[in-house]
Amino acid sequence: MSKVIKKRYTEEADYGFNLRTAREEARRCLLCLDPPCSKGCPAGTDPGSFIRSIRLNNIKGAAETIRSNNILGGSCARVCPYDRLCEEACSRTGIDKPIQIGRLQRFAIEQEKAFKMKVLEAPKKKKPFKVACVGAGPASLACAAKLALEGYQVTIYEEKEKAGGVLTYGITPSRLPEHVVAHDIKTVKDLGVKFVFGTKVGRDVDLNDMDYDAIFIGAGLWGDKLPDIPGVDKEGVWTAVEFLKTARVEKTKFKPGENVIVIGGGNVAIDCAVTAKLLGAKNVRIVYRRSIEEAPADMKEFKYALKLGVSITTEMAPAEVLGQDRVEAMAFTSRDGVSTAKFKADDVVFAIGQKPEDMTAIAAVKVNEKGEIKATKSGKTNLAKVFAAGDVVSGGKTVVEAVAEGKEAAESIIAYLAKKEGVK
Amino acid sequence: MAVKKDLSIEYLGVKCENPFFLSSSPVGSNYEMVAKAFETGWGGVFFKTVGIFVADECSPRFDQNDKNGLPWVGFKNMEQISDKPTEVNFENIYKLKRDYPDKIMVSSIMGSTEEEWRELAKMSEQAEADLIECNFSCPQMTSHAMGSDVGTNLELVEKYSRAVAESTKLPVIAKMTPNITIMEPAAIAAIKGGAKGVSAINTVKSITSLDYENLTGMPVVNGVSSISGYSGTAVKPIGLRFIANLAQCKELEGVPLSGIGGIETWNDALDYILVGARNVQVTTSVMQYGYRIVEDMISGLSYFMDERGFDSVDELVGLALPNLVPAEELNRDFKIIPKIDLDKCVGCGRCYVSCYDAAHQAIDWDDKKRRPTINDNCVGCHLCLNVCPVKDCILPGEIEWKEGRTPTEIKVKHYYD
Repeated sequence: MSKVIKKRYTEEADYGFNLRTAREEARRCLLCLDPPCSKGCPAGTDPGSFIRSIRLNNIKGAAETIRSNNILGGSCARVCPYDRLCEEACSRTGIDKPIQIGRLQRFAIEQEKAFKMKVLEAPKKKKPFKVACVGAGPASLACAAKLALEGYQVTIYEEKEKAGGVLTYGITPSRLPEHVVAHDIKTVKDLGVKFVFGTKVGRDVDLNDMDYDAIFIGAGLWGDKLPDIPGVDKEGVWTAVEFLKTARVEKTKFKPGENVIVIGGGNVAIDCAVTAKLLGAKNVRIVYRRSIEEAPADMKEFKYALKLGVSITTEMAPAEVLGQDRVEAMAFTSRDGVSTAKFKADDVVFAIGQKPEDMTAIAAVKVNEKGEIKATKSGKTNLAKVFAAGDVVSGGKTVVEAVAEGKEAAESIIAYLAKKEGVK
Repeated sequence: MAVKKDLSIEYLGVKCENPFFLSSSPVGSNYEMVAKAFETGWGGVFFKTVGIFVADECSPRFDQNDKNGLPWVGFKNMEQISDKPTEVNFENIYKLKRDYPDKIMVSSIMGSTEEEWRELAKMSEQAEADLIECNFSCPQMTSHAMGSDVGTNLELVEKYSRAVAESTKLPVIAKMTPNITIMEPAAIAAIKGGAKGVSAINTVKSITSLDYENLTGMPVVNGVSSISGYSGTAVKPIGLRFIANLAQCKELEGVPLSGIGGIETWNDALDYILVGARNVQVTTSVMQYGYRIVEDMISGLSYFMDERGFDSVDELVGLALPNLVPAEELNRDFKIIPKIDLDKCVGCGRCYVSCYDAAHQAIDWDDKKRRPTINDNCVGCHLCLNVCPVKDCILPGEIEWKEGRTPTEIKVKHYYD
């Protein structure tokens, strides 16, 4: 019998390092001349530098490197797919196995809080420009922080009650504890960034009427996406977004049914399955229409789900949601067309990708057929004063990439406003 | 099948079952400890030093330091000689010898006057110890009439050695301090006084690291600290040097040596034996790991002897000495250019960094391929070979002769651990 891990919903999925174990791990680092890990980080968190700091017992310096380079360094330390970013690049792999960079980052950034460090400080003298950011997820937070550090006055508008976007309303707390997200957000707030919650831009306010010199849209993907199959309107059918949000808000009060089927092959699907399992569902099954090899989810996430006892069925596509008013089972057809299957289900969660809400309600930006904003790599849209980045542009990538894109868009905004500076 | 070798060796007329001894320290302080050590396989014990003076110890009294998070690179000890009544110690020595007649009991003693040394020698003999070791070297005694201050004073070393040798028929060993520029004169003084063997090294006077809370050294005793003895892996090279010096000293020819300092594995022990020690004494690694480490010393040395075709430890004693020569005797006519195995190279660039910043800028770095190449600046210092983290990636390669020098047959090291 396989040993399955049993954890509570809010219990941390993984252990961290302490000073001693962190230094032991840092000792394995080859201290590369041109650290490939640093090049492997989209957000430029620079593991090469912070690991060397840990090795040389400069723990505060390590925390400083992380926070200065990545405003969401705490959250990224928990949710980054290291195995295909910095750790994949690690030279040590040529000898045995990569340095546990994610875990070292987690340790170092934890010291920032432990030592009550204040790494970042916004200039006292503010620039005479106001920028509005739409959405309080990773891209917006990164963009806002960068702008605030340059002295711009930034306000973030968020529809929900809390900041963080997917960090707060998506990813399971076992993988990303709330206090980690809260501390990352606090560092943004401490830079003087203002937050307006419970306010949906385009519905509750119109930024075009207000005196903002630039607008950044980092609204993420919060639109429902359900497949076009019979029965999706039944009770007990969820979108991943709704399912995860409900779990994050209601926590252990949320009781999924005994049998939960999650459909999809990305990290979000795994988050849904893990959430269901941790909240007490007895049988949780991930069903994905393609193969493991084609699945966008990270192997370490698949492994974690397996360790919790989640079963994974591949190459089966959803065909129909069965039941009276409420879902009772799910029918699938196999990729090769040979077989069909029916699995009992009390809840069915579709984690088949998300789509943006109507972004044209915010500004007259051009969008593609999926509703994603058309923007350049540096976050420029068709409108001079409107910028966009993160999932709302990319269609959904990682937190660290959203941070990188948000930062880059901030650079574009800075360049755009610098041109106007002479005028004001 | 497990290799079992006869590791026995004669030492000062006493047959020892193996060359592995506990040194006089906290690891051999009472009956139960030494009995357990014997049962585990140690060949003998230099019992915790006995004096007329009974030590009053401070707390805490130990500290260790690390490198990059690797603990116990070195160890600092502020403990003095035994804190048990003199008679109790000799009674323990007596009982241990009675109960373990095949094991070697060495009575380590320390007096503060000639009289005390004589008395301790007699008591050692009465306790039926096999040998006596005079501790001239403990660097943390509270009295300057004792310890390493004595060991650096040739007159006192000779006088006290004589006092002990005259008072007993047991062979006398002098334990030397490394807190001295050259050890040979002190060892010669001990032999002149009547000592038959020499042990080295005792601990090195040290401050391991500073405590920022109290602005003193470690360990902190009521807000302050003292300089005291350092031991462990970090001091092994120093111990080896002193043993080799003593072994190569003409005036000390034939004097059996006992090697001490940073011995943890069979290799460490073998190193001491190869430079002239007939046995080794161990403390620090036992403090870290316990008596059980002797099992791997016995097994490891047996495998080595089996592999190399040695039948007795005696054959190994001093084998490396002819090959340890003064710097002026080294052949300086050639350089061995390292060879980099690019298939093994992981591209970390450490060889490049070290060569550029600390050697001769003799490595070119291809930053696209992330691979090093050795250029004509190479002097054959082998710093690159020493920093490379990949086993056998950088090894000795071509021999180049300096201009105008005559090529001869050169011996090269091929295998690196």
